[in-house]
Amino acid sequence: MNLFFLALLLISAGGTQALATFRLYSLMKVGAVTAIIGGCALGACNAVWRLLQHADPVSYSHSWLQTFSFSLKIDAISAFFLVPVFIISAVAALYSFQYLNDAKRGAGTAINYFFYALLIISMALVACADNLITFALAWELMSVSSFFLVIYDVQKKATRDAGYIYFLFTQAGALFIFAGFGFLYSHTGNFGFEALASIPDSAKLIAFILILIGCGSKAGIMPLHIWLPYAHPAAPSHVSAVMSGVMIKMGIYGIVRFYLLLEPTSALFGQIIITLGTISGILGVVYAIGKHDIKRLLAYHSVENIGIILLGLGIGMLGTATGNKTMAAFGFAGGLLHVLNHSLFKSLLFMGAGAVIQQTGSASIDQLGGLMKKMPVTGRSFLIGSISISGLPPFNGFISEFLIYYGAFHGLHLQGTSFLFSVLAIISLATIGGLAAACFTKVVGVVFLGEPRSDFAARASEAGFFMVLPQLLLAALCLGIGIWPAHFVQVAFEASRAIPLLANYEPTQFMPIMTNISRTVILFFLLFFGITLLRKLFYVGKEVTSSGTWGCGFTQPTARMQYTGTSYGDSIVDFFRPFIRVEKKYSEIDKIFPGKTTYSSHVHDSSEIGMNTFLVRPVLYLLNKLRWIQHGNIQLYIGYIVLAIVVMLIFI
Amino acid sequence: MDFTFSFTSFLSLLTAVSLAPLFMGVILKVKAFFGGKQGPPWLIKYYTLIKLLRKGSVYSTSTTFIFKLGPIISFVTAFMLLLFFPFAGLPPVLSFHGDVIILFYLLGLGRFFTVLAALDTASPFEGMGAAREVFFSTLAEATIFVILALFFRLSGSLSFAEYFTGDQIVNLWSQSAALILLVLIALFIVLLTENSRVPVDDPATHLELTMIHEVMILDHSGPDLALIEMGAFCKMLFYSAFISSLLYPFHTGSGLYNGLIFSIIMTLIYAVVGLVESITARYKMDMVPNFILTSFALVFFATILTMEFVQ
Repeated sequence: MNLFFLALLLISAGGTQALATFRLYSLMKVGAVTAIIGGCALGACNAVWRLLQHADPVSYSHSWLQTFSFSLKIDAISAFFLVPVFIISAVAALYSFQYLNDAKRGAGTAINYFFYALLIISMALVACADNLITFALAWELMSVSSFFLVIYDVQKKATRDAGYIYFLFTQAGALFIFAGFGFLYSHTGNFGFEALASIPDSAKLIAFILILIGCGSKAGIMPLHIWLPYAHPAAPSHVSAVMSGVMIKMGIYGIVRFYLLLEPTSALFGQIIITLGTISGILGVVYAIGKHDIKRLLAYHSVENIGIILLGLGIGMLGTATGNKTMAAFGFAGGLLHVLNHSLFKSLLFMGAGAVIQQTGSASIDQLGGLMKKMPVTGRSFLIGSISISGLPPFNGFISEFLIYYGAFHGLHLQGTSFLFSVLAIISLATIGGLAAACFTKVVGVVFLGEPRSDFAARASEAGFFMVLPQLLLAALCLGIGIWPAHFVQVAFEASRAIPLLANYEPTQFMPIMTNISRTVILFFLLFFGITLLRKLFYVGKEVTSSGTWGCGFTQPTARMQYTGTSYGDSIVDFFRPFIRVEKKYSEIDKIFPGKTTYSSHVHDSSEIGMNTFLVRPVLYLLNKLRWIQHGNIQLYIGYIVLAIVVMLIFI
Repeated sequence: MDFTFSFTSFLSLLTAVSLAPLFMGVILKVKAFFGGKQGPPWLIKYYTLIKLLRKGSVYSTSTTFIFKLGPIISFVTAFMLLLFFPFAGLPPVLSFHGDVIILFYLLGLGRFFTVLAALDTASPFEGMGAAREVFFSTLAEATIFVILALFFRLSGSLSFAEYFTGDQIVNLWSQSAALILLVLIALFIVLLTENSRVPVDDPATHLELTMIHEVMILDHSGPDLALIEMGAFCKMLFYSAFISSLLYPFHTGSGLYNGLIFSIIMTLIYAVVGLVESITARYKMDMVPNFILTSFALVFFATILTMEFVQ
């Protein structure tokens, strides 16, 4: 525990010293980044050590304001979530060193580092909280600090709007969590976690759903994901990387933690989670295909990956409910490993996107192109991130999807609805995989390959060393987990041992399968190098020339004629039309010699429209009617408070 | 991982791969027959490969290293599939429980790079082909995974070796023949889709605008193109072998006799592909998703049926 606190202390020192030295811009950045990385490294080492040593849980408790106790406990599952928190935060801090380079904004940058440190600390505390009060406090601290990080570019209206939406969602979500906590408290009578398993089954379901809504809005489960595509593009890229890579996983952590604490036995929990996973997974990637802004697209991919994680957890829960150990073990291990994997490749992709936006000044996919030649390292690491996120071997995304598949396949022996949900999970995973590959061939193909579609894309150059290095580190991790998955899978499984069903389960199935995958991947590389060599031999002494792309007879091609991301994704988006609203505006060609024409398309988010029509507008209407209550008269406001207390005293 | 050092396994693999171009010739011969023509020689595809391997290449100035990676990866991934496939009831060279998942995902990796190589050329036509390829193959992939789910439900197997050489064989002569019949139709639709055959795609069409796969490889030439062709042969061989293993119980007979039957069934499957190409026209592009979804509906229906049949 001491090492953990030392790590947090170092991180907070980094944050606070930035506030003190904001006038010396470079010194502030060096100090903040070093301290944060140092603290994170310490914390990550500690967490990894705990996982590898199977260390017994440690706890810490501090009584506070007489009634409350501030309790922390690091068990396997906390340690598992602490690893991405510290690793990604450290790597993103390194990235921020060159990314934040506006010396005129000394104070703004200092505040950014302060809240960045606070966000890391609060995420670590969420993962270790050992009673309801501590969890709630850490959760709120996390929401508030991330809010201030989002509104870094506060001068822009779009950023302020995004911050506002984020704040609304995060607070509404917190309300649901607190409602769930209050409900739990009413059954157990204390703030501790220990008694939660003994409450009645119906109460478990209600509490779980309330917490699921709250945590789900943080995690970005569809239809509660609306803040993601606003907040991520608005935030600085290193913040997007941390928020999308790690912070939304805290929502997943909340779901997993309370599932474990409640120890439910009904299969309904798994079925709810699988259904939500299917919706988030498939629609998340379809919306991503329809988006033109690279960071907005990545934000929707977070929704998709949360869907995959939920599918894994749901399979695990279904396995637990039906007593199917293989299904439970592989489902949970797959879901948890995907948490780690997604944090790696998603932050890698956000950093790549940040580099592209900084070097070209545009986030619009359809205006970029040909960046692989101008930004070779960013391009290559982005390619690796893209293959990983599409769940393709030989990278890490495949490993976690494989585990989930394996678990779901072993659920096919079940009867009735459990069988159907296993089939649903398999179909969803296959569809998500195909669509994700479609989406990322679009991003890589349109942004990095082909010819530049604009002047600013043609003039781009590689980002600085400290922006490229973090991407290379993450790309190496993605490949490493893809080739040698055994230990990572083992660790993910150890973390899911908290489930009573799996406490004594020996994962004899994991190791041989992981060795086999590892061998298959190595065989792939051997064949790949062999064929590459063979190809080289065939080209020895041959004439190799270069020329323009074959234009199918057309001799005056321009870069504007290339397929754009919009046209690339059009048929897929069209296919999902009942769930997705596409607005197209174009001027019809009505003359023999057409003049200048325009075309624009916009993919609307159905959940946003739905929430607007069915929730926001009625509420606004109602509140408008109640406007007279707000009159600015202080005495009457105090009267309200007194009245409220009296009414509560009467009823409780 | 089970690694079979058996001579026959290697031999069957090598024979199958070396015969793959010949089988492609069958399609051309059947089409020629229906067109009232004599058609190209049986060995035409071998001549093409040799011709391509002897040539140099022209690379577009727009392309990057991805353009050269595309052919290599698409060939390697398609070839790896064959390493795990039991030809004519013989044990495959490699196999493990769960190999089907990684193999179909490796095919996905091959497609990923083929598509990227197409987009690398900056050609609008190749972009168009790429967009169609990823869309249609996503639909086909859903069918494949439902088939795998059905097979697991029937036999508890998760590898090609277990399907066709294990304890619980899945084929048309087992208990669940009715379901396998639906799978066969679906699998044939997937074969047509994944190998860009009529009515999904027409490899012989003359207009780039209407192509899917052929337009994606327009700019490849020389040995690169030979690799792509070889990869395409392997993929076609795999799907046909998959169907023929479902059609005939190879686990009962003995080596040479099985090999003969296998070759005959394979020739028939290629002939049916040629037949379909001769008597149907390709669908309009917006009809293709419906065609592929038919295969999905069939196997999904079969899977639902198991809820009653398999207890």
